[in-house]
Amino acid sequence: MQKLLIVDDELDVQEFAANFFRKRKFEVVTAGGGQQALELLEKERPSLILLDIKMNGMDGIETLAHIRERAKEIPVVMVTGKKPEEDESCKRCTDLGISGYIHKPLQLDELERIVLSLLTK
Amino acid sequence: MSIDYKKELESAAKSMILVHEPDILIKMIARMMVQKVKVIHTGILLHDEQKNTYILRVSRGSVGTRVPQEFARMDYNNPLISFFRERKDKEILGNGLIVYSEVKQLLRKRIHPQAEKILNAVLYQMDMLGAVVCIPSYFREDLLGILFLGRKVSGRDFKRRELDFFVALASDVAMAIRNATLFKQLQDELAKRQELFLNTTISLSAAIEAKDRYTQGHTTRVTNLCLEIGKRLISKRDIRLDSNFLEHLHIAALLHDIGKIGVPENILNKKGILDEEEWQKMKQHPTIGSNILHSIKELASAIEGVKHHHERYDGKGYPEGLDDDKIPIIAAIIAVADAFDAMTSDRPYRNAKSKKEAISEIKQESGKQFHPRVVSAFLQLCQEGKI
Repeated sequence: MQKLLIVDDELDVQEFAANFFRKRKFEVVTAGGGQQALELLEKERPSLILLDIKMNGMDGIETLAHIRERAKEIPVVMVTGKKPEEDESCKRCTDLGISGYIHKPLQLDELERIVLSLLTK
Repeated sequence: MSIDYKKELESAAKSMILVHEPDILIKMIARMMVQKVKVIHTGILLHDEQKNTYILRVSRGSVGTRVPQEFARMDYNNPLISFFRERKDKEILGNGLIVYSEVKQLLRKRIHPQAEKILNAVLYQMDMLGAVVCIPSYFREDLLGILFLGRKVSGRDFKRRELDFFVALASDVAMAIRNATLFKQLQDELAKRQELFLNTTISLSAAIEAKDRYTQGHTTRVTNLCLEIGKRLISKRDIRLDSNFLEHLHIAALLHDIGKIGVPENILNKKGILDEEEWQKMKQHPTIGSNILHSIKELASAIEGVKHHHERYDGKGYPEGLDDDKIPIIAAIIAVADAFDAMTSDRPYRNAKSKKEAISEIKQESGKQFHPRVVSAFLQLCQEGKI
């Protein structure tokens, strides 16, 4: 079973996304922030990470930088508030080696499609 | 068994149609669905015309099952959205809403392959939202939003009359949203027109200054000073002022010299003191101004301001020799601002006075040339260093 790590500082989003992917036969672990995400990265060895860009404390970009120091290959999808082409900080994500973007409000089927396509690559 | 929440929701919906805040109604419906109908979660997707999509604006229910607010959207090509937008609900289901279990049953029978494909795509979308019922809200043929409901906590199915009621409720919501949108558009339109009108007035006042080259910048300065005095009078509350007083004062101040258009240029720009005949012509400008504007009925009090801005408190002014409170307050304000700006500006036949001298002259003329209340507001502004 494929394992997803969902990182978001909003419990509402964490829980909904976790249930959403569990119903789709994924194993899901959740983190409420960047620090916890890095701990779970070592412990759980997820096959894909869904990462919110805007978080209190360590934000998505910083978390991504740390993830890339430890795991170069793991697909990371950044959940942003704006379209990537309208978001300055997305350039930094691209430099850091982001695998995909999805912007909120998002389309659930698109979220599913992005995750599935990255995992079958 | 009656539906116990029905009355409450119904009367709320009806009253909401009259107010211009559909958000309150929508949030209340979502809350009622959870508390009274006892669904695990519910949400409302609303049309966002700017972004060409439907966004989940309201969401209630238990964490984990409810879709986080503002988290999800559905574009026009989403199967659930296009199903309702293209009125496939009427065509395929015939009842203006989707009940998950009913569609499942229908799919077990032999139906048209195209319909089967569409319905499967719709059910897939409902699955993702965790919805067992979807109710669209239309105004005419426009899909304004979709209310979706999760399962009931009890696990029971929805009763037919509950569903019928939700459909009626959705149409009330549509009316409320529609009214609010129209109201907002009307307000925007009105604001736009007001701005257009004000800009037209400003252009018109620029036309006077183009003709009378010694008064360039005068209109803007007088207008600003008038507005300051006007605001001060409002805050002092010792004179009764109309609700649109400031707006009319603004227009009158901008146009107070519009009548100079009718005064020959050689008089306006004469480098010396005017003789009696010239002076008589010059003195006609307030009347000419009010004649130019008189057809604009909505501006009656602004026009009065233009006509009487050269009256004096002691009755020795023109054109009508009005005195005391017979002089419209707007005119009395312009008189002070106009005199102050004229005194502090250079003229071809004399040099400008200092601010201090001008202020003291206005003070001296209180109750003679100028209205004492206006002078008092003006002096307050001077003391506060605002002039």
